[in-house]
Amino acid sequence: MEAAYALIGYGLAAIGPGVGIGLIAGNAVQAMARQPEAAGMVRTTMFLGIAFTEALALIGFVLFFLV
Amino acid sequence: MITAAETCDFINEVVCKPANVKELFEFGNFAGTQISRTEILILLAAIIPVLVVFFGLRKKSVVPGKLQSAVESIFTFVKDEIAIGVIGRGGEKFTPYLVSIFLFILVGNLFEVAPLINFPVTSRMALPLFLSLITYFIFVFVGIKEEGFGYISHLVWPPGVPVALKPLVGVIELVSVLLVRPFSLAVRLFANLVAGHVMLSLLLASAYFFLVQPGGADYILSKAPIGLAWFTLGLGIYGFELIVSILQAYIFTLLSAVYIQTSLHPEH
Repeated sequence: MEAAYALIGYGLAAIGPGVGIGLIAGNAVQAMARQPEAAGMVRTTMFLGIAFTEALALIGFVLFFLV
Repeated sequence: MITAAETCDFINEVVCKPANVKELFEFGNFAGTQISRTEILILLAAIIPVLVVFFGLRKKSVVPGKLQSAVESIFTFVKDEIAIGVIGRGGEKFTPYLVSIFLFILVGNLFEVAPLINFPVTSRMALPLFLSLITYFIFVFVGIKEEGFGYISHLVWPPGVPVALKPLVGVIELVSVLLVRPFSLAVRLFANLVAGHVMLSLLLASAYFFLVQPGGADYILSKAPIGLAWFTLGLGIYGFELIVSILQAYIFTLLSAVYIQTSLHPEH
Protein backbone atom coordinates (compact mmCIF):
# COMPACT_ATOMS: atom_id res chain seq x y z
CA MET A 1 0.00 0.00 0.00
CA GLU A 2 2.84 2.36 0.87
CA ALA A 3 4.36 1.69 -2.51
CA ALA A 4 1.09 2.66 -4.17
CA TYR A 5 1.07 5.98 -2.30
CA ALA A 6 4.70 6.54 -3.31
CA LEU A 7 3.80 5.82 -6.91
CA ILE A 8 1.00 8.40 -6.81
CA GLY A 9 3.41 10.85 -5.21
CA TYR A 10 5.92 10.34 -7.98
CA GLY A 11 3.22 10.84 -10.59
CA LEU A 12 2.18 14.10 -8.95
CA ALA A 13 5.81 15.21 -8.72
CA ALA A 14 6.24 14.65 -12.44
CA ILE A 15 3.36 16.90 -13.54
CA GLY A 16 4.95 20.27 -12.84
CA PRO A 17 8.38 19.52 -14.31
CA GLY A 18 6.71 17.96 -17.35
CA VAL A 19 4.83 21.19 -18.06
CA GLY A 20 7.96 23.19 -17.29
CA ILE A 21 10.24 21.24 -19.61
CA GLY A 22 7.64 21.49 -22.35
CA LEU A 23 7.51 25.28 -21.95
CA ILE A 24 11.30 25.57 -21.93
CA ALA A 25 11.84 23.40 -25.00
CA GLY A 26 8.96 25.02 -26.91
CA ASN A 27 10.18 28.52 -26.23
CA ALA A 28 13.76 27.53 -27.05
CA VAL A 29 12.63 26.20 -30.43
CA GLN A 30 10.74 29.42 -31.03
CA ALA A 31 13.79 31.48 -30.10
CA MET A 32 16.05 29.42 -32.37
CA ALA A 33 13.58 29.77 -35.25
CA ARG A 34 13.40 33.53 -34.81
CA GLN A 35 17.12 34.04 -34.46
CA PRO A 36 19.09 31.06 -35.82
CA GLU A 37 22.45 32.78 -35.21
CA ALA A 38 21.78 32.70 -31.44
CA ALA A 39 21.01 28.97 -31.51
CA GLY A 40 24.16 27.90 -29.65
CA MET A 41 23.53 30.23 -26.72
CA VAL A 42 19.84 29.34 -26.60
CA ARG A 43 20.67 25.63 -26.59
CA THR A 44 23.05 25.95 -23.63
CA THR A 45 20.51 27.97 -21.70
CA MET A 46 17.79 25.48 -22.61
CA PHE A 47 19.80 22.57 -21.21
CA LEU A 48 20.44 24.56 -18.05
CA GLY A 49 16.75 25.31 -17.62
CA ILE A 50 15.79 21.71 -18.33
CA ALA A 51 18.36 20.48 -15.81
CA PHE A 52 17.03 22.76 -13.08
CA THR A 53 13.39 21.90 -13.78
CA GLU A 54 14.04 18.19 -14.10
CA ALA A 55 15.57 18.07 -10.63
CA LEU A 56 12.11 18.29 -9.05
CA ALA A 57 10.84 15.25 -10.90
CA LEU A 58 14.02 13.36 -10.10
CA ILE A 59 13.72 14.11 -6.39
CA GLY A 60 10.21 12.67 -6.58
CA PHE A 61 11.64 9.61 -8.31
CA VAL A 62 14.26 9.11 -5.59
CA LEU A 63 11.71 9.54 -2.82
CA PHE A 64 9.62 6.87 -4.51
CA PHE A 65 12.50 4.46 -3.98
CA LEU A 66 13.22 5.57 -0.43
CA VAL A 67 9.69 4.93 0.85
CA MET B 1 32.96 -11.39 -15.44
CA ILE B 2 31.46 -7.99 -15.12
CA THR B 3 27.87 -8.78 -16.08
CA ALA B 4 25.30 -8.99 -13.35
CA ALA B 5 24.77 -12.71 -13.48
CA GLU B 6 22.72 -13.46 -10.39
CA THR B 7 21.20 -16.82 -9.79
CA CYS B 8 17.51 -16.79 -10.53
CA ASP B 9 14.88 -19.50 -10.84
CA PHE B 10 13.41 -18.53 -14.20
CA ILE B 11 10.85 -21.31 -14.30
CA ASN B 12 9.08 -20.93 -10.98
CA GLU B 13 9.65 -17.26 -10.24
CA VAL B 14 7.67 -14.89 -12.43
CA VAL B 15 9.75 -11.81 -11.64
CA CYS B 16 13.43 -12.13 -10.83
CA LYS B 17 13.86 -9.30 -8.36
CA PRO B 18 16.86 -8.30 -6.26
CA ALA B 19 16.75 -8.88 -2.52
CA ASN B 20 15.62 -5.29 -1.97
CA VAL B 21 15.93 -1.91 -3.58
CA LYS B 22 18.59 -0.84 -1.06
CA GLU B 23 20.93 -3.00 -3.12
CA LEU B 24 21.24 0.08 -5.34
CA PHE B 25 23.00 1.94 -2.55
CA GLU B 26 25.25 -0.85 -1.31
CA PHE B 27 28.53 -2.25 -2.45
CA GLY B 28 28.71 -6.01 -2.57
CA ASN B 29 31.54 -8.46 -2.70
CA PHE B 30 32.93 -9.71 -5.99
CA ALA B 31 34.18 -13.26 -6.50
CA GLY B 32 35.01 -13.79 -2.86
CA THR B 33 37.18 -10.69 -2.52
CA GLN B 34 36.38 -7.38 -0.90
CA ILE B 35 36.40 -5.69 -4.32
CA SER B 36 32.97 -5.15 -5.83
CA ARG B 37 31.95 -4.94 -9.46
CA THR B 38 31.29 -1.24 -9.00
CA GLU B 39 34.81 -0.58 -7.76
CA ILE B 40 36.37 -2.33 -10.75
CA LEU B 41 34.17 -0.29 -13.08
CA ILE B 42 35.04 2.96 -11.27
CA LEU B 43 38.71 2.12 -11.72
CA LEU B 44 38.08 1.40 -15.42
CA ALA B 45 36.19 4.69 -15.78
CA ALA B 46 39.22 6.46 -14.33
CA ILE B 47 41.78 4.59 -16.43
CA ILE B 48 40.05 4.71 -19.84
CA PRO B 49 40.01 8.55 -20.17
CA VAL B 50 43.64 8.71 -19.03
CA LEU B 51 44.67 6.16 -21.65
CA VAL B 52 42.62 7.81 -24.40
CA VAL B 53 44.05 11.25 -23.65
CA PHE B 54 47.58 9.86 -23.28
CA PHE B 55 47.58 7.97 -26.56
CA GLY B 56 45.65 10.73 -28.30
CA LEU B 57 48.13 13.44 -27.41
CA ARG B 58 51.34 11.38 -27.34
CA LYS B 59 52.54 12.54 -30.76
CA LYS B 60 51.40 16.12 -31.16
CA SER B 61 51.34 16.24 -34.93
CA VAL B 62 50.21 19.32 -36.83
CA VAL B 63 47.84 17.23 -38.93
CA PRO B 64 46.03 15.28 -36.20
CA GLY B 65 45.09 11.65 -36.55
CA LYS B 66 41.64 10.28 -35.71
CA LEU B 67 42.19 9.82 -31.98
CA GLN B 68 44.08 13.08 -31.59
CA SER B 69 41.39 15.11 -33.34
CA ALA B 70 38.70 13.44 -31.22
CA VAL B 71 40.52 14.26 -27.98
CA GLU B 72 41.26 17.76 -29.17
CA SER B 73 37.67 18.40 -30.18
CA ILE B 74 36.39 17.24 -26.76
CA PHE B 75 38.97 19.43 -25.07
CA THR B 76 38.20 22.52 -27.13
CA PHE B 77 34.46 21.91 -26.74
CA VAL B 78 34.72 21.89 -22.95
CA LYS B 79 37.15 24.80 -22.97
CA ASP B 80 35.27 27.08 -25.36
CA GLU B 81 31.65 26.18 -24.66
CA ILE B 82 31.77 25.50 -20.93
CA ALA B 83 34.88 26.98 -19.32
CA ILE B 84 35.11 30.22 -21.29
CA GLY B 85 31.53 30.35 -22.55
CA VAL B 86 29.93 30.00 -19.12
CA ILE B 87 32.52 31.09 -16.59
CA GLY B 88 33.93 33.85 -18.80
CA ARG B 89 36.93 35.83 -17.59
CA GLY B 90 39.21 33.62 -15.51
CA GLY B 91 37.52 30.44 -16.68
CA GLU B 92 40.52 28.90 -18.43
CA LYS B 93 42.12 27.71 -15.23
CA PHE B 94 39.10 25.50 -14.47
CA THR B 95 39.38 23.73 -17.83
CA PRO B 96 41.44 20.76 -16.52
CA TYR B 97 38.93 20.07 -13.76
CA LEU B 98 35.96 20.37 -16.09
CA VAL B 99 37.53 18.15 -18.76
CA SER B 100 38.40 15.54 -16.13
CA ILE B 101 34.92 15.29 -14.64
CA PHE B 102 33.37 15.39 -18.11
CA LEU B 103 35.42 12.45 -19.37
CA PHE B 104 35.06 10.49 -16.13
CA ILE B 105 31.28 10.88 -15.97
CA LEU B 106 30.99 10.24 -19.71
CA VAL B 107 32.79 6.91 -19.49
CA GLY B 108 30.93 6.01 -16.28
CA ASN B 109 27.61 6.77 -17.94
CA LEU B 110 28.45 4.98 -21.16
CA PHE B 111 28.95 1.77 -19.19
CA GLU B 112 25.15 1.77 -19.06
CA VAL B 113 24.86 1.10 -22.79
CA ALA B 114 28.15 -0.77 -23.20
CA PRO B 115 27.35 -4.36 -24.16
CA LEU B 116 28.17 -7.01 -21.53
CA ILE B 117 28.63 -4.39 -18.82
CA ASN B 118 25.26 -2.60 -18.85
CA PHE B 119 25.78 -0.98 -15.51
CA PRO B 120 26.34 2.76 -15.08
CA VAL B 121 28.73 3.32 -12.18
CA THR B 122 27.23 6.77 -11.65
CA SER B 123 24.01 5.09 -10.56
CA ARG B 124 25.63 4.39 -7.20
CA MET B 125 24.91 7.41 -5.03
CA ALA B 126 28.46 7.50 -3.64
CA LEU B 127 30.02 8.55 -6.94
CA PRO B 128 27.77 11.48 -7.98
CA LEU B 129 27.73 12.67 -4.38
CA PHE B 130 31.51 12.65 -4.21
CA LEU B 131 31.84 14.47 -7.54
CA SER B 132 29.27 17.07 -6.55
CA LEU B 133 31.05 17.59 -3.21
CA ILE B 134 34.28 18.35 -5.10
CA THR B 135 32.42 20.95 -7.14
CA TYR B 136 30.86 22.26 -3.93
CA PHE B 137 34.21 22.73 -2.23
CA ILE B 138 35.63 24.38 -5.35
CA PHE B 139 32.86 26.94 -5.68
CA VAL B 140 32.76 27.75 -1.97
CA PHE B 141 36.57 28.08 -1.95
CA VAL B 142 36.52 30.30 -5.04
CA GLY B 143 33.80 32.46 -3.51
CA ILE B 144 35.68 32.90 -0.24
CA LYS B 145 38.90 33.60 -2.14
CA GLU B 146 37.20 36.24 -4.27
CA GLU B 147 35.19 38.04 -1.62
CA GLY B 148 36.56 36.87 1.69
CA PHE B 149 33.99 36.82 4.46
CA GLY B 150 31.73 38.81 2.14
CA TYR B 151 30.78 35.58 0.34
CA ILE B 152 28.93 34.24 3.38
CA SER B 153 27.57 37.61 4.45
CA HIS B 154 26.23 38.30 0.96
CA LEU B 155 24.39 35.00 1.11
CA VAL B 156 22.87 35.68 4.53
CA TRP B 157 22.26 39.40 3.98
CA PRO B 158 21.91 39.81 0.19
CA PRO B 159 22.61 43.27 -1.25
CA GLY B 160 20.12 44.92 -3.57
CA VAL B 161 17.04 43.55 -1.79
CA PRO B 162 14.56 45.65 0.27
CA VAL B 163 15.45 45.54 3.96
CA ALA B 164 12.13 43.99 4.96
CA LEU B 165 12.73 41.04 2.65
CA LYS B 166 16.40 40.52 3.47
CA PRO B 167 16.01 37.87 6.22
CA LEU B 168 13.64 35.80 4.09
CA VAL B 169 15.70 36.02 0.91
CA GLY B 170 18.85 35.38 2.95
CA VAL B 171 17.52 32.13 4.38
CA ILE B 172 16.35 30.98 0.96
CA GLU B 173 19.69 31.87 -0.63
CA LEU B 174 21.70 30.20 2.09
CA VAL B 175 19.74 26.96 1.89
CA SER B 176 19.61 26.90 -1.89
CA VAL B 177 23.31 27.62 -2.38
CA LEU B 178 24.85 25.61 0.43
CA LEU B 179 22.44 22.66 0.71
CA VAL B 180 20.24 22.25 -2.35
CA ARG B 181 22.97 22.86 -4.95
CA PRO B 182 25.26 19.93 -4.14
CA PHE B 183 22.30 17.69 -3.37
CA SER B 184 20.44 18.39 -6.59
CA LEU B 185 23.63 18.17 -8.63
CA ALA B 186 24.27 14.68 -7.28
CA VAL B 187 20.66 13.51 -7.40
CA ARG B 188 20.22 14.69 -11.01
CA LEU B 189 23.01 12.47 -12.29
CA PHE B 190 22.15 9.57 -9.99
CA ALA B 191 18.41 9.50 -10.65
CA ASN B 192 18.74 9.87 -14.41
CA LEU B 193 21.06 6.92 -14.60
CA VAL B 194 19.05 4.77 -12.17
CA ALA B 195 15.86 5.51 -14.08
CA GLY B 196 17.49 4.58 -17.37
CA HIS B 197 19.01 1.43 -15.94
CA VAL B 198 15.73 0.28 -14.37
CA MET B 199 13.82 1.04 -17.57
CA LEU B 200 16.28 -0.87 -19.75
CA SER B 201 16.36 -3.81 -17.36
CA LEU B 202 12.57 -4.01 -17.18
CA LEU B 203 12.03 -3.84 -20.93
CA LEU B 204 14.80 -6.21 -21.95
CA ALA B 205 14.03 -8.63 -19.10
CA SER B 206 10.36 -8.81 -20.08
CA ALA B 207 11.40 -9.36 -23.68
CA TYR B 208 13.62 -12.19 -22.47
CA PHE B 209 10.83 -13.74 -20.40
CA PHE B 210 8.36 -13.63 -23.27
CA LEU B 211 10.76 -14.89 -25.93
CA VAL B 212 12.74 -17.47 -23.96
CA GLN B 213 10.31 -19.40 -21.86
CA PRO B 214 9.37 -22.97 -21.03
CA GLY B 215 6.31 -24.55 -22.59
CA GLY B 216 5.14 -25.98 -25.88
CA ALA B 217 5.49 -24.44 -29.32
CA ASP B 218 1.95 -23.03 -29.29
CA TYR B 219 2.58 -21.30 -26.00
CA ILE B 220 5.79 -19.71 -27.24
CA LEU B 221 4.22 -18.61 -30.52
CA SER B 222 1.35 -16.96 -28.69
CA LYS B 223 3.68 -14.96 -26.46
CA ALA B 224 6.48 -14.23 -28.92
CA PRO B 225 4.87 -11.12 -30.52
CA ILE B 226 4.60 -9.50 -27.08
CA GLY B 227 8.23 -10.25 -26.43
CA LEU B 228 9.21 -8.88 -29.80
CA ALA B 229 7.31 -5.65 -29.08
CA TRP B 230 9.08 -5.25 -25.74
CA PHE B 231 12.41 -5.96 -27.40
CA THR B 232 11.82 -3.31 -30.07
CA LEU B 233 10.83 -0.78 -27.43
CA GLY B 234 13.87 -1.75 -25.38
CA LEU B 235 16.17 -1.14 -28.34
CA GLY B 236 14.56 2.27 -28.87
CA ILE B 237 15.15 3.15 -25.22
CA TYR B 238 18.71 1.88 -25.65
CA GLY B 239 19.39 4.62 -28.19
CA PHE B 240 17.65 7.15 -26.00
CA GLU B 241 19.82 6.16 -23.04
CA LEU B 242 22.93 6.67 -25.16
CA ILE B 243 21.86 10.29 -25.68
CA VAL B 244 20.94 10.67 -22.00
CA SER B 245 24.35 9.38 -20.90
CA ILE B 246 26.21 11.96 -22.97
CA LEU B 247 23.77 14.72 -22.07
CA GLN B 248 24.02 14.08 -18.34
CA ALA B 249 27.82 14.24 -18.44
CA TYR B 250 27.49 17.55 -20.30
CA ILE B 251 24.88 18.88 -17.87
CA PHE B 252 26.93 17.96 -14.80
CA THR B 253 29.96 19.77 -16.23
CA LEU B 254 27.84 22.73 -17.33
CA LEU B 255 26.22 23.13 -13.91
CA SER B 256 29.59 22.84 -12.16
CA ALA B 257 30.79 25.68 -14.38
CA VAL B 258 27.66 27.73 -13.65
CA TYR B 259 28.12 27.31 -9.90
CA ILE B 260 31.79 28.29 -10.12
CA GLN B 261 30.79 31.27 -12.23
CA THR B 262 28.29 32.56 -9.64
CA SER B 263 31.08 32.46 -7.06
CA LEU B 264 33.69 34.00 -9.35
CA HIS B 265 31.58 36.87 -10.68
CA PRO B 266 28.97 37.54 -7.98
CA GLU B 267 27.77 40.76 -9.65
CA HIS B 268 25.89 38.79 -12.31
